[in-house]
Amino acid sequence: MSVAQLAVTRRGDGRSEAQPPTVALALLLPLALLGLWALSAHQGWLPVQILPAPSEALGALWELAKTGDLLRDTSISLLRVVEGFAAGCVLGLLLGIAMGLSPTVEDYAKPLFTAFAQVPTLGWIPLLMLLVGIGEALKIIVIAKAAFVPIALNTMAGVRAVPKHYAEVGAVFRFTRWQTLTKVVLPASVPPVFTGMRYGLTHSWNALVAVELLASAEGLGYLLVWGRQMFWLDTMMGAMVIIGLVGFLLDRLMAGAERHLQRWRPA
Amino acid sequence: MAQQGHLVISGVFKTFRVSGEPLRVLAGLDLEVEPGGFLTIVGASGCGKSTLLRLVAGLDTAFDGSVRVDGDPVTAPSLDRGLVFQEPRLFPWLTVAQNVALGLLNSPLDKARRRREVSAHIELVGLGGFENAYPHQLSGGMAQRVAIARGLVNRPRILLLDEPFGALDALTRARLQDELQRIWAAERTTMLLVTHDVEEATYLGDRVVVMAPRPGRIAATFDVPLARPRERTDPALGRLRDDVMAALQATSSAGVAPKSAPVPAARTAPLLVSAE
Repeated sequence: MSVAQLAVTRRGDGRSEAQPPTVALALLLPLALLGLWALSAHQGWLPVQILPAPSEALGALWELAKTGDLLRDTSISLLRVVEGFAAGCVLGLLLGIAMGLSPTVEDYAKPLFTAFAQVPTLGWIPLLMLLVGIGEALKIIVIAKAAFVPIALNTMAGVRAVPKHYAEVGAVFRFTRWQTLTKVVLPASVPPVFTGMRYGLTHSWNALVAVELLASAEGLGYLLVWGRQMFWLDTMMGAMVIIGLVGFLLDRLMAGAERHLQRWRPA
Repeated sequence: MAQQGHLVISGVFKTFRVSGEPLRVLAGLDLEVEPGGFLTIVGASGCGKSTLLRLVAGLDTAFDGSVRVDGDPVTAPSLDRGLVFQEPRLFPWLTVAQNVALGLLNSPLDKARRRREVSAHIELVGLGGFENAYPHQLSGGMAQRVAIARGLVNRPRILLLDEPFGALDALTRARLQDELQRIWAAERTTMLLVTHDVEEATYLGDRVVVMAPRPGRIAATFDVPLARPRERTDPALGRLRDDVMAALQATSSAGVAPKSAPVPAARTAPLLVSAE
């Protein structure tokens, strides 16, 4: 009742104001899943070695948190994702804008880019290991590649979809190429660019887990693999929850940035 | 100031390529607009009137013949020539004031002066108080007013208007026509307005040019020697309207084109009747 009322009274004031009921609604499904998980563990539907109770996963997380391992692993992984994503993002935006604006650049770059994108991120790891070893550089490059592809593709499509009408207005006022880019093309392509960035972020996390799984002794991905190998499934489940949570928070951060850039939009 | 905005179009030919075939859209156009004059061009769809406007604006420079403003040939867009499109084409992420200010991005004026020009032109089109509104908060008529303010903010010698009121409802259209007339009287900018609305062409122009399609050329020219502000119900205006309409209909029914083209002007009448 109170949730419904909130929704009615706040709806008209814009999205940020409408958040309380949205948050409540968004929590419904996770809580239901958690309930199901707890119920399953309680009823013994699955062997406890395969699906430990939520309380055990939480306990394992608590143990890891107490020793400081959880914070260390999380910050290591977060740093890798942020660095790799930032690099992939810059390159993806640059290539996407260039290919979107110039058919010539597209003619030269697109075939190679497509072929490059077709090879799964995991497929690059063996070659990269030979080239850069298994240090931090490997992780950053793999994560950057994962973010780069969807960002470049969506940016290109977004830039190309900017209405020609807008560019013509710029032409009438003698906009330079730089003015056309910053005053017309970029503001007009914010939504598709951000779609690409959010895809890129998801791919970054996938790549992180993959690369930590293959070549790391620390980080959330490592924790996950290690938990599985040791059959400490409570640890593994805990790591999954943390990865999901951090990824979710980063995505919200990006959504907030997008909303800020698009604050002119009708609520 | 009085001698600025003299537009001379002479011997203009323009050809498009449509699926490999050359299509002549303008054939030997000669036209002159006196400084501070108000010329309206009326013609059926496809008579090349919008193409002509794009040539004068400098958006399309691949043509034969010459377009000169105050003696200088048009080779590119210029801040001396404002253009108002059929759709307002405002940037939705900018406020009214920011949209108008965009027109001054490459102006030599200093910052304070630009701010003054922006608010003066927003006042001019009657939108004072809406400076910080976003385009989605405006009606179609208000948005087009902003577009007119943006087109005038550089104080161009010539303002080109490409069916600027075509998408508006009849009442808003009439009101904006009056506004445009008032603005023209106040600013004395040379106006070149393209329309398919005979009523609009005769009400606003000192001179009305009727264009014929396929290929686009001038079919007839009418002077409108009526004092301003004009009465829409003035019988003299009504007679002139009939003459222009007859000339316009002749362009599409007289068989000037070998293939009989669709006749938009004649078709609208029964459509309107059936709609009511």
